[in-house]
Amino acid sequence: MADRIKVGQLTASLRGLAQRFAFGMLVLTAFAVMVIGKADTIIIERVRAAVVDVATPVLNVIARPVQTVNDALAEVHDMIELRGELARLREENARLMSWQSVAQRLEAENKALRSFFAFRSGPQATFITARVVGDAGSAFVRSMLLNAGGRDGVENGQAVMTSDGLAGRITEVGEASARVLLITDINSRIPILVERTRDRAVLAGDNSRQPRLTLMPPGMSVEAGDRIVTSGHGGTYPAGLPVGVVASVSEKSVRVEPLVDWTRLEFVRVVDFGIEGILPSAPPPPTRRPPLP
Amino acid sequence: MTPNFVQRLDRLARQLSPFAICMLLVLLSVAPLRVPVLSSAAPLLPLMAIFHFGLFRPALLPPWLVLAFGLLLDLLAGGPAGVNAVVLLMVRHFVEANQRFLVDKPFPVIWLGYALASAGAVAGIWALTSFLFWLPIDPRPAILQYLISLALYPLAAWVFGRSQTSMRTA
Repeated sequence: MADRIKVGQLTASLRGLAQRFAFGMLVLTAFAVMVIGKADTIIIERVRAAVVDVATPVLNVIARPVQTVNDALAEVHDMIELRGELARLREENARLMSWQSVAQRLEAENKALRSFFAFRSGPQATFITARVVGDAGSAFVRSMLLNAGGRDGVENGQAVMTSDGLAGRITEVGEASARVLLITDINSRIPILVERTRDRAVLAGDNSRQPRLTLMPPGMSVEAGDRIVTSGHGGTYPAGLPVGVVASVSEKSVRVEPLVDWTRLEFVRVVDFGIEGILPSAPPPPTRRPPLP
Repeated sequence: MTPNFVQRLDRLARQLSPFAICMLLVLLSVAPLRVPVLSSAAPLLPLMAIFHFGLFRPALLPPWLVLAFGLLLDLLAGGPAGVNAVVLLMVRHFVEANQRFLVDKPFPVIWLGYALASAGAVAGIWALTSFLFWLPIDPRPAILQYLISLALYPLAAWVFGRSQTSMRTA
């Protein structure tokens, strides 16, 4: 009998102890996840991809009514700005018509020159169209979730574009979902060229709407309105993808307005340019043997 | 359809609603809503729900569930894993520690409690994320997010409160 009371007391005190430390254990668990996420990104990425895979069908369902709300809001916005927008579009149309004739002339010229030099074009790009099902609206990360993944041919590192320009790149791939790191994210770095001057720099996101140029060569001249395209260095993106337009130039920083309209991002194209594997395994440049004495 | 059955159904619904609401809000907070201002400063919906139910229905929102919601939010939103989990647990703990003081106070006092808890939470998320990225993150979107959430809290609290009473009065 006394033994039974002792056992009862023991279990009661153990339970009390467990309850007291349960909260501490939960906090420790959360910190442990943080440390694991920092030390071994692969494990967390796999778990993340699996969780996102499970959540994507639900997010897909939520995304549709949300899109209806977005469309309604956009419509109201459009109504307000209709007159100004019309004038702007007329002007843009006139400008584009003149560019069209230039483009047609250049295309014909290009064709002629290509046949002249027996030019071999690069591998054809393939596109995967995906719906944007998640966009955290976080103050700390700029990323989106897509409803296409590994089974659709999406791979890590592929460029994500809209008809306007580059939106970001794939950083995480699940079976039926993928995450895009946007060019405005604080962890995004893209090697770029200023189209007019061919100067190279890096476009670095900082979570603001307009990423800034860094690692600019000394004496680089850049003006507001200059177009920014990918340079193709580093092998992540092919050269020449449109990225943005220089919005402001000041002593402290050069800001670039992305071409992508973030408020109308419903579908994106994941682009496989077939350039993976070429750069890392590129043969070393042939060395010239010094002439014999 | 005995009243007994309806009563049981009603009780079950009320018991499940904190879980269901928190889950819905975690998912909603990664929905691609494109309101210009909110795209970088969406209201902290799960934080509001965890504050509210931690205060009024603590038994229905145990800390382990808060940890699970925090981790889910981290994994879906794409930030460093564990940050929201730690911060939401701290909010839950803050609410529990002050529950006796807050629970029967008029709404403005509860709102003030939310203002304090969420200020700590936003500062915590900012500090942990900046530390884990090892980059100085601009705090202004976070401050905007805090203010928007603070302004929306009375509405959210009213909706959460309705979820506990609506069926009984219906």
